Amino acid sequence: MAKGMFVDTSICTGCKACQVACKEWNGLAPEPSHFRYDPVAGHIVAINYTGNSYDNTGRLSATDWRHVRFIEQFNPDRSQARWLFMSDSCKHCTDAGCLNACPTSSIIRTDMGNVFVQQETCIGCKYCIPACPFGVISFSEQTGTVHKCTLCNDRIHNGLGTACAKACPTGSIQFGEVADLKAKADARLAQLKALGNTQANIYGYTEASGLNVFYLLLDKPSVYGQPENPVVPQQRLPLESITSIVGALAMGAVALVAFRERGARKREEVRG
Amino acid sequence: MSPETLSPNWAWYFVPMYFFVGGVSAGAYFIGSLVELFGKDDEQHCELSRVAYYIAFPLILITPILLIADLGRPERFWHLFFYVNGGIPYINLQSPLSVGSWALLLYGAMTFLSFLDNLVAAGRVRFAPFAALYNRIPRKVYALIGSLTGFFVASYTGVLVNSTARPLWAATSPLLGALFVVSAGSTGAAAIALVMVFRKMVNGEVFEQLETFDRVAMIAEIVLIVLMIVIAGQFAAPLLTSPYALIFWGGTVLVGILVPLALNWYTRRPDATRSGLVTLAAVLALFGGALLRISLVQAGQA
Repeated sequence: MAKGMFVDTSICTGCKACQVACKEWNGLAPEPSHFRYDPVAGHIVAINYTGNSYDNTGRLSATDWRHVRFIEQFNPDRSQARWLFMSDSCKHCTDAGCLNACPTSSIIRTDMGNVFVQQETCIGCKYCIPACPFGVISFSEQTGTVHKCTLCNDRIHNGLGTACAKACPTGSIQFGEVADLKAKADARLAQLKALGNTQANIYGYTEASGLNVFYLLLDKPSVYGQPENPVVPQQRLPLESITSIVGALAMGAVALVAFRERGARKREEVRG
Repeated sequence: MSPETLSPNWAWYFVPMYFFVGGVSAGAYFIGSLVELFGKDDEQHCELSRVAYYIAFPLILITPILLIADLGRPERFWHLFFYVNGGIPYINLQSPLSVGSWALLLYGAMTFLSFLDNLVAAGRVRFAPFAALYNRIPRKVYALIGSLTGFFVASYTGVLVNSTARPLWAATSPLLGALFVVSAGSTGAAAIALVMVFRKMVNGEVFEQLETFDRVAMIAEIVLIVLMIVIAGQFAAPLLTSPYALIFWGGTVLVGILVPLALNWYTRRPDATRSGLVTLAAVLALFGGALLRISLVQAGQA
């Protein structure tokens, strides 16, 4: 019964309505101003631009839970161009690295399958930040805690969809049951492939053991700044534990030899 | 190995320093416990264990300060142990940070017992009921539990950074736990050696045994570092470029391991003039251990 989102980047127009809706619904701090009066120059100057196409925040952060990426592609002689968009957010992984890493159970999964940070109990240890394979969860100096997309926890538990999906004017972001969304994604992928989009792929079925928020991409995931083969980092824990135990056993064996055997040998030397 | 992962921005003087100080404490403690378990039951070996126990507890007392100061909400640190909705006491077996917090608590208790036992035995503290209670359990049981908690505290920090998605930390998996436990052994031995030099205890068989242990630990450390660089491949780049190349190869490998190893080899035979070189080797080994944690943690965040 997990809820999730399907983001069809092929029909995204890069309007950023989702970014605005996310900020408004969740009451996130605004972006810095883009204009400033420069007393030396005597006129208004533009500031705080990323310089990367229409991208205005650069990445997801504690106050940017949605981020529209803009990718400008050209062929070598620049006779052909393609402008790709991707509205990115927390993927609400089915096996979430941040949730596994959380030592205080501040990060929980609700009955609707979304991964939620409880601000009241987070201690700000920041261990969830490197545990996220996608670089989503972020620390806020203002609150001393971590923040990320909640899948609009308050809305979805009251029968509404996510704010971003509600605001999306093209239906690129769809909210619903993950199983239903997967059926829609498969149909749309088949349609695009039939139209000749051979590179089209779904990102999020197998990545990091499956994502509740998944994407239809028109190019390789790395083009969209996504890891190609993300894994849940805690999957390596058993092997790492075994290696540590072997290391400890080796130290024990060295101590056994150093502190006992050598004494015995020394007595032999004295006798010989 | 995701290019898009974010850094926790742990400052070098909190988390990596905890890894180092905790490692020295745990290393000294497991050496002391192991000597009690495996060593001869003579006065010299007991004296080595006592030195180890005197080091372990004061050092581990510093670490909660380093850890709590790093938190975004330091006043909530107790959430690590108690969480109403998750059960009291709370532990998350998938999180090295959660398990490590509990291990640190248990380890702190063990080192405190050993420390107090030392003080009572030396007559510096008069506390008759403690000795009566403490000695009800055989000393080897304390030593066994103590060495296990020491090993855990020394190694879990390596597992903690290995089980993340940061490129360098993920690529060095699964070796950091083993590397940190070996480094803890070497730096713990160095700390014990320093105190023994200070207390003029260098002219015995047990000191030679400690030096042998340290020598093997340092060789194992070099082997693990080479292995780590090989398995990390292209993701070892932060360790091979400025500024961490200098800190790691110059500070840790050369000054912190190879030079102490050479000094250790040079002073392996009893000699009246060796305590100066032994002191130098121990100081350099401790310095190298600190730089090992700093360079690996900070290069992983770069």
